[in-house]
Amino acid sequence: MSDYTRPLTRREFAKLAFGLGVGLAAADWIWQSFRAHENPQAQAHGVNADGPYWAMVIDLEKCIGCRRCVYACEATNDTREGHLWNILIEDTQTYEKPVFITRPCMHCENAPCVDVCPVHATYHRPDGLVAMDYDRCIGCRYCMVACPYGVRVFNWGERDDENPQVPTWGTPEIERRPRGVVEKCTFCAHRLDAAAENGWRPGYDRAATPACAVICPTEARRFGDLHDPESPASKAMEGRQSVVLRAELGTNPRVFYLLPL
Amino acid sequence: MNLRFLRTHPFILWIALLLVGVTVGLAGAFTVFTQGLGATGLTDSVPWGMWITLDLSCIAVAAGGFSLSAITYLLGRESYQPLARIAVFVGVLGYSGALMALILDIGRPDRFWHGWVFWNTHSMLWEVTMCITLYFSVLMLEVFPMVADLPFLARFKRLNHLAHRVHHFAPALAVIGLSLSLLHQSSLGATYGVVIGRAALWRSTMPLLFIVSAVAAGMSFTVHVTLLVQWLGKRRLVPNQVLFEVGQIAGAILLLYLYMRFWDTTAGNYGYVPGRTEATNVLMSGPFAVSFWGWEMLLGGLIAAILMIRARARQSFVSLVVGSGLVYAGIIVNRWHTTLLAFTQPLSTNPPVTDPLVGSYTPAWTEWGTALGIVCGLTLLFSLGMRFLPAFQGIEEAEPEPAPEPAMTVAAEAGD
Repeated sequence: MSDYTRPLTRREFAKLAFGLGVGLAAADWIWQSFRAHENPQAQAHGVNADGPYWAMVIDLEKCIGCRRCVYACEATNDTREGHLWNILIEDTQTYEKPVFITRPCMHCENAPCVDVCPVHATYHRPDGLVAMDYDRCIGCRYCMVACPYGVRVFNWGERDDENPQVPTWGTPEIERRPRGVVEKCTFCAHRLDAAAENGWRPGYDRAATPACAVICPTEARRFGDLHDPESPASKAMEGRQSVVLRAELGTNPRVFYLLPL
Repeated sequence: MNLRFLRTHPFILWIALLLVGVTVGLAGAFTVFTQGLGATGLTDSVPWGMWITLDLSCIAVAAGGFSLSAITYLLGRESYQPLARIAVFVGVLGYSGALMALILDIGRPDRFWHGWVFWNTHSMLWEVTMCITLYFSVLMLEVFPMVADLPFLARFKRLNHLAHRVHHFAPALAVIGLSLSLLHQSSLGATYGVVIGRAALWRSTMPLLFIVSAVAAGMSFTVHVTLLVQWLGKRRLVPNQVLFEVGQIAGAILLLYLYMRFWDTTAGNYGYVPGRTEATNVLMSGPFAVSFWGWEMLLGGLIAAILMIRARARQSFVSLVVGSGLVYAGIIVNRWHTTLLAFTQPLSTNPPVTDPLVGSYTPAWTEWGTALGIVCGLTLLFSLGMRFLPAFQGIEEAEPEPAPEPAMTVAAEAGD
């Protein structure tokens, strides 16, 4: 070990300062080039607060547990059997009558999955929905660990299976996801995007509304813009008690459950 | 076939055995890479399992690298240098094991580089990725001079010159290593600790518990393997006094960890905390009770700490080797419990979320096989390094031998 206690000479100090300067400039350049790679949609704070507030309202009084929303989702989003985006749970204990609870992705405002993703593969769209970038996901499954609602499923292998719900309950509208990435309910974002292009109104027009809400025979699932007091979702909430799942976590879900009467 | 050859050359037999393990690992890895993660026992409800445990364990036992380097080069305990060198060598192997486990574990190994390019600075796993890869580079730099010392590399003058220059920066590398390790050893705990949705995990104490236990495990592991190499290799690598001192430090750190754990459990479960209380019950009186009390608390906890601390006063190598082995075994069991508890417990007591999502998990052969392969591969590299690297060919007997005691006799016999 050489003498570290000796004060620096002027020459050494100049060298050090120059080195630090070059280092900082290089670090800034690297940082900027990384920033340029960022997904333009993946700005956590880029959510447009003035736009529509998409929400799903699920009426536990009206739901009869027919599973049509589960099947329609399976067909439309071409999910794999046993790895559903929308599941149905029967609760026989809380109320006198059995209550059916269906569970899509909550599209949380403070989404734990978005925070934990190491590569920003899951992010908030400008309209606030939580989306996946399948080309960026590395399949670490940290989002599945972090999701408080267990909505995320993984592509454990290559897809070559037949979808048993096609064509009875719908036809696939999006591509199958590749092996090794995580996926989840999108609120049928492809339909919302098509609606924006064609001037359809989500919640009112069938082609612009999530498949699960469209197929529901009892209108237990309603979708729409909560900023629009006339939307089906807003209407359904009128005069009813609504809850969100695990409200204590502060995730602010976009899926509201209307309690049985 | 004449097998007497193997009896006279036990090292070759040892290497051959390890190669068998590596072969099993390669078969497992091939299966996983061709068929995808469906070939494992993991499911949507238990997305992390054995590989994460292996990863956490490798990094915990590698923590000796940064802690002993810091003691040697920053606190100026030059006499610890032989042990710090072994710790750094263990460290570089441990981190390569962790990286191998991670490559297997991610669904898209072809995208392993995404963490460096697409930054989510909020993610604990991003922080871990960056720190682990950076610290791995630091460890490589620290090991480089040892490898460059190999006799058959002596002809490359520039290489040796470079190695000498790198070694000159050992204190600087120790500072960088310390900073990076303090970051990621704890953020591995925070990876679990920030998961707000799983009450069994969500604790701000996780990062602290992880780093303190990792330092205890890392120091103990280094002492343990050093003793084994000394006995099997019939040479003295580290002065006895250093081994006993480090054993004592590790024992004290383990006690500190147990103390922190006690208050974390006591205060964190006060009254009834939904989800967390259930998980704690599973740990303390449920299916994990035997391994929790037996391994984590008694054998790998109190008993190990007492053995390690008392070893110096009794100059007992047996206490030291048994104690240090128990310490890191206990920490590995702890990592396994932490991972499993998270996924085999309900997300909460909220009915719509729990029922179908409570998973069970049995590792598939691919996971066992690759874990075996990684452990065997690392042991193989470690054995070769200990056998051939000039840095580990023994030190001169500087200290006078202490008065012979029963424990010493055992050690001497094993060493002869």
